[in-house]
Amino acid sequence: MTAEAPRRISVRSLLVAAVVAFGAIAAAVLIGPVGLDPGRVLLEVLDRLPLVEVESGLSPREAAIVWELRVPRAVLGALVGSTLAMAGAAYQGVFRNPLADPYLLGVAAGAGLGATLAIVTVGSGSLLVPGAAFAGALAAVAATYALGAAGGGRRTGTTLILAGVAVAAFLTAAQTFVQQRNADTIREVYAWILGRLGTTGWADVALVAPYAVISIVVILLHRRLLDVLAVGEDEARTLGVRPERVRAVVVIAATLGTAGAVAAGGLIGFVGIVVPHAVRLIAGSSYRVILPLTVFGGAAFLTIADVIARTAVSPSEIPIGVVTAFVGGPFFVVVLRSSRRDQS
Amino acid sequence: MKRLISFVLALGLLVAACGEHDSGPTTSTAPDSGAFPVTVRGTEIPALPERIVSLSATHTEVLYEIGAGPEIIATDVFSDYPAAATETEKVDAFNLSVESVAAMDPDLVILSYDPGEAMSGFAALNIPAILFAPPGPASLGDVYDEWQELGEATGHTTEALALVSQESEDIDGVVAEVPQTIRSFTYFVELDSTLFTVGPGTLLHSVFGMLGLTNVAGEDAGAYPQLSAEFLLDADPDFIFLADTVCCGQTAETVASRPGWSELSAVQNGAVIELDDSVASRWGPRISDLILRISKEVYGVG
Amino acid sequence: MIELRGVSVQYNGHRVVDSVDLTVGLGEWVGLIGPNGAGKSSLLRAVAGTVAFSGDVYVRGRPTSGMGRRDLARLVAVVQQSPLLPEAMHVVDYVLLGRTPHLSYLAAESDADVAITEAALWDLGIIHLADRPLGSLSGGERQRCVLARALAQDAPILLLDEPTSALDIGHRQQVMDLVADLRRTRGLVILAAMHDLTLAGQYADRLAFIQRGVIEADGPPSEVLTTETISGFAGARVTVMRGPNGEIVVVPRRR
Repeated sequence: MTAEAPRRISVRSLLVAAVVAFGAIAAAVLIGPVGLDPGRVLLEVLDRLPLVEVESGLSPREAAIVWELRVPRAVLGALVGSTLAMAGAAYQGVFRNPLADPYLLGVAAGAGLGATLAIVTVGSGSLLVPGAAFAGALAAVAATYALGAAGGGRRTGTTLILAGVAVAAFLTAAQTFVQQRNADTIREVYAWILGRLGTTGWADVALVAPYAVISIVVILLHRRLLDVLAVGEDEARTLGVRPERVRAVVVIAATLGTAGAVAAGGLIGFVGIVVPHAVRLIAGSSYRVILPLTVFGGAAFLTIADVIARTAVSPSEIPIGVVTAFVGGPFFVVVLRSSRRDQS
Repeated sequence: MKRLISFVLALGLLVAACGEHDSGPTTSTAPDSGAFPVTVRGTEIPALPERIVSLSATHTEVLYEIGAGPEIIATDVFSDYPAAATETEKVDAFNLSVESVAAMDPDLVILSYDPGEAMSGFAALNIPAILFAPPGPASLGDVYDEWQELGEATGHTTEALALVSQESEDIDGVVAEVPQTIRSFTYFVELDSTLFTVGPGTLLHSVFGMLGLTNVAGEDAGAYPQLSAEFLLDADPDFIFLADTVCCGQTAETVASRPGWSELSAVQNGAVIELDDSVASRWGPRISDLILRISKEVYGVG
Repeated sequence: MIELRGVSVQYNGHRVVDSVDLTVGLGEWVGLIGPNGAGKSSLLRAVAGTVAFSGDVYVRGRPTSGMGRRDLARLVAVVQQSPLLPEAMHVVDYVLLGRTPHLSYLAAESDADVAITEAALWDLGIIHLADRPLGSLSGGERQRCVLARALAQDAPILLLDEPTSALDIGHRQQVMDLVADLRRTRGLVILAAMHDLTLAGQYADRLAFIQRGVIEADGPPSEVLTTETISGFAGARVTVMRGPNGEIVVVPRRR
């Protein structure tokens, strides 16, 4: 039986997705290496709401754990997860390729090079690191676009992907070279690349939020157009759509969001592929259904992955990129088996 | 805790009077060529070395201290102490080329890390090379042994023994003055801004232990565990030592501005101590400086 | 309705359409015939605006080069030779895509759009397939979906590129009859590239014979479908006859 792609999204599935996402965030706030009474944690969060005054009974340090560490980290995880998942879905729609992920056009390589240069020159604690990562990501995509048009031909999806491969390969080589010349910083560089939501606070949330929100909103607004692109660029043109323009807008939005996410959390992989695919398996392949569900799905996925990252080997932490990779591998086995079942 | 801090301030003058370890070579005598050939760490050194390449920053410091400075022809990029080391020719020890080192015609190479075939490469070229392999010494006893081995390898045994004797005297003196406290103070020493620290089995951990301090990472942790901010907030160490001031730009201010860290007692009491990365991670003659500094900051004595 | 003046299309320096003049009047069905590679598809793409061309194309008296994409799409609907049909998309959603030119950039479809879509499904006799995924349909059913989508576009001009080449003979006639009916009921102007000469002769009002990018004959089927013209099709040997009802039949002749 072939998969289905209904256009309309049911309110029920939206609600379920929202509940799952908020449940994940709640879990991230309640669970941690330090055991805190859940009731008191909830009271502490309530106390922080404007106009609400309650005594949570937590000590100042415990309250700091909740409000300065766990809550911002959970919110950041939700934002980053949502952004990366949406960017992945957007790339998949625009390039009509189910294996596209947010790092396709060189974003990861550019961010990695930027961060490495910053770590090597000023050290890993500096604010320059996320800034350089952000700038590197954007520069890489700009280079990909420039290269994609360099042959004089039209920038089709394929030429862009090929240009992205070339740019990524070059920037990765550059990053490796810089890293090797400064081998004493290898551990810091590697830690950044593997991804970590670790030393975050509300300041990081504030930095990422604008890019995340803009990216998610713009992509959501284009969900009908992504469905139009599904019939191919030529036919989309005969239907009055400019595929290059839609692609450019969506790619810019997805890239902005990804650059922000990567600046805050390093190169967290698999979110951009796993979440949209999981949503497709459940809800069909129309972008008008996938995108709203992916907003919540991405938030839930990364937040839960972070809970595992924080608690599995406490007091130490697993880099979150490792957790998402551990999930991603088996997940592809599931996708493979279900798609083979479909074909038979 | 607050009383202890005032005690430290009041003892300011006395602390200054205790003085620091005088850095500089001990009285140098001519190297003893009669002791050769000698075997150190499995490597035979046929004759007194006159062209030494040191690819380990720690051992560079020791070599200069025991009077082998004049024989050093090249050091690795990170050998930055003493000042004379910065003026020698430089070698990249991480991306090591055996050939380039061999081109300098050394008769002794000191390494603390073998990227792959360095030792076998030097052996094939008949260049005596000594590897002080990771993970490094776990106690002061191991440290003194290494210094003595360096002395034997370079014909400066007398100076090495003198150095060991001087340092252990200084250190024992500091340890002896550690006061009795009601409970052992706890500490956290951070190696980088992702909160990696030292654990049992490392030299730093044993040094802190000698001074009666307890590591918040606990005795069951591995050698280099990574802690989380949450764990630290719960453990609330009495003292925080920063060994990432140089690599990662951390200071007492940056630490205080981390989310939630302002609630830590150590931050509130001004007990966040900035160490120099190299002094904290090496085991050369400056180790007694390190021990003295820690003792001063914690107990106000030294 | 459609006027081409001196239209040329180039691929890799090679002129596949060479300075073509062609008119399709109100209510006409013009069939484009010619051997493979003669330039039929490229000509259609020039009218649809999906390939670069030199010369002028006028639709309803307006030059297409000045028109916005959506404006052109509201005037010209295209049924391509091998359209991409996403396997999992529902028929109704695919046909609804035909309303795209009538929607502003970020708008969603209205109830009126859905109603027009359903009317198109009725007209093509596939309303019962509305909620089926495209991948589960037969070849003939899929072709009707594509036609329905073109209809939903509500454009006065329909461009068809070999609409029957993938179908068996029964389905070919069905599709051609459908198109003929729709032309009558909706007053469509049709420009169709056609492979099957007999069908082309039976359904089109006029035939334009194009070879190596140049129109070599343009007129009613009885004038264009002659043995001489068709022998230009890579030396095909045919006999042009009249069927029982006077219709033109092109019969291949074996050596």
